[in-house]
Amino acid sequence: MKISIAPLALAAALCAAPAIAQEKITLRFANTFDAAFQELWKPVITQFEKLNPMIQVKIESTAGSGAAIYPDVLRTSMVTGAPPDVFFMWGGTIAAPFMKSGQARVLDDEYTKFGWDGRFAAPIKARSTTAGKTYGVPYRAMGMAFWYRSDIAEKLKIKLPNTVAELEQNCATLKTAGIYCASTGGKFGWHTGRLTEYFIETTCGPDRHDKLNALAESWDQPCVVAGFQRLRTWIDKGWLVPDFLAVAPNDSRIPVYQGRAFMIFEGGWLEGALKASDQNVQNYSFFVPPNDSANRRYSGFGEQWMIATNTKHPSQAAAFINFITDPAVQSQFKPGTFPLSASIGAKVDCAVTPMECKWKEVISSNMGSYLPTDQYFDKELIGSFYEIQDGIVAGKVTPVAAAKLFQERVVTWKSKQKS
Amino acid sequence: MRKTVKSARHIPYLFMAPALAIYSVFLVYPMFDSLYLSFFEWDGLSAKKTFVGLNNYIEFFFDDQTARKATINTFVWTLGSLVIPSSLGLILALALNRGGKVSVVLRTIFYSPAVLPLVGVGLIWGWMYNPNFGVINVILKSVGLGDLAIGWLSNFNTAFAATFVTYTWAHVGFPMILYLAGLQSINQDYYDAARVDGANAWQSFRNVTMPGLTETHVIVLSLAVIHGLKVFDLVYAMTYGGPGRETQVLGTWMYFQGFQYYHAGYGAAIAWVIAAFILVLAIPYIRRMSSN
Repeated sequence: MKISIAPLALAAALCAAPAIAQEKITLRFANTFDAAFQELWKPVITQFEKLNPMIQVKIESTAGSGAAIYPDVLRTSMVTGAPPDVFFMWGGTIAAPFMKSGQARVLDDEYTKFGWDGRFAAPIKARSTTAGKTYGVPYRAMGMAFWYRSDIAEKLKIKLPNTVAELEQNCATLKTAGIYCASTGGKFGWHTGRLTEYFIETTCGPDRHDKLNALAESWDQPCVVAGFQRLRTWIDKGWLVPDFLAVAPNDSRIPVYQGRAFMIFEGGWLEGALKASDQNVQNYSFFVPPNDSANRRYSGFGEQWMIATNTKHPSQAAAFINFITDPAVQSQFKPGTFPLSASIGAKVDCAVTPMECKWKEVISSNMGSYLPTDQYFDKELIGSFYEIQDGIVAGKVTPVAAAKLFQERVVTWKSKQKS
Repeated sequence: MRKTVKSARHIPYLFMAPALAIYSVFLVYPMFDSLYLSFFEWDGLSAKKTFVGLNNYIEFFFDDQTARKATINTFVWTLGSLVIPSSLGLILALALNRGGKVSVVLRTIFYSPAVLPLVGVGLIWGWMYNPNFGVINVILKSVGLGDLAIGWLSNFNTAFAATFVTYTWAHVGFPMILYLAGLQSINQDYYDAARVDGANAWQSFRNVTMPGLTETHVIVLSLAVIHGLKVFDLVYAMTYGGPGRETQVLGTWMYFQGFQYYHAGYGAAIAWVIAAFILVLAIPYIRRMSSN
């Protein structure tokens, strides 16, 4: 008996077709979450997977070095043709190479489809937009300032400063009490860079500081020298925990935890880090330091989610971003899971995360902000900046020579861009 | 019959083919691709690559001051790698070339760092050197040498040496094991003959042990040169090339240019300069030592 296999094959194909169509996909989600934050996000991922049973989300984290290493990891995966589907990104010049090179997907259609325009304030969305195209979905609006030990302030009767002179007077008082005024970690450059930027903000003023960062003015000028000199003075007077150049930013928190140092320049994320390190959050608070100008500003930047151009799952990636930026979804999870969310309507439980609440007030107030220098400069130029900064810290380069040298580097860098 | 012999000639090539294919795809092709890339300016992300001829090499040799610093550091590191861990490995091997449980335990202790990943070693030593809570400064302070407790990796004068101490700690075990194997292959009769001839310990070492270890020297020293020239992990993990650019070596500068500064072409050029240094330094040396 001759049996035709054609009908059987057709039936098998029809049975298999839905199985193939519904094959479970893995959405690779790259970010800089540390272990504690990954734990907080586990229920979020679980919830998304429950609502989308055919999608599995896999976290790929590069934590601990800030923006020093994570962009390299991303770039390597993109060049090798295996990019993550959804990835975390800062703004400014850190994000620029991914947009310029076409590795980040233009999300204008997704904005229309999901109605994201109504989810974020226009200035926040503008941070993710370049040349009329939107590449990112806002995640957090971050602010950085001096976090300090409120228990030590109370004990030593230290008042929050309104002028730089008052701040420095506080440092002198703390020094007398055997406590360092501030701690910083010089490895990677950026953490100490926050102090240097602040000092330049105080000596050049907000407008000139912005012009310097935009390279619209020469760095070889007295106010920059004065800013570098202020960094030097803080070291010479023993106000900073010494020998910090090779200390990792996260490790520089330890002297503050120990009560050996009074404050540290950090962002809103510190509240979560304090809890993860079993610190009593009640003993901490923050203040936006004075800049001796009527326009006192905090250091601020945006964070965003992006989708890789070469993702095989663009619609699922967009659905995931839509889920995690939805304020209604965010409110379902433990406080601190979406700290300083950029989504309009995101709720903060001030009883649980009081510092986040305080930051929300600052960010939504009229207070201005300045971008960190490493989000203004490209990585090569910021590398030069940090090299010179290290020279000042080590006493190898005088503030006068540092200002001159950095301007020379700016000129060389600019000429390279033209050629 | 002739046909069988002829086809048999191809059999070795058939056996070699899989390995050759893997080698070609994963080593030869990327190698030549990176050589090709070294003649371009490319950000490592976009599709556009601009041909710049030899500019990347000209920049390396004539314009880039950090490259000069990194080259000097790499050669100092290689020289150190050639002398210090190798000599210490030999001394340890001579000291532990005997039976007994203590000797076995000590060999294990000295060898164990060699099996640890260098990035992990770098992080652990980074904490040990930490000026605030690092064990090194804590010990110095506790024995009354607080003046010596400095930021070993933060100080421009000590960062490079402090990193090299870690390298020595991690790399002393491997030459020790190789030398131990070499020592055990030297015929005991030579030592007996030397003793009969009235040779003292130094003379035995110089005229029996050292010539007997010639083959081991070739392996140990050539590996030391290669490891020294391609140093990356420890510097990256411990100092990130700093403070300033004081501890930059060619491996890290290649990484910074290629990955951090988006100059993939220039990074590839540095990689080829490292490869050229290895070829120029290591190959004649290995050939000479091997032929002897």
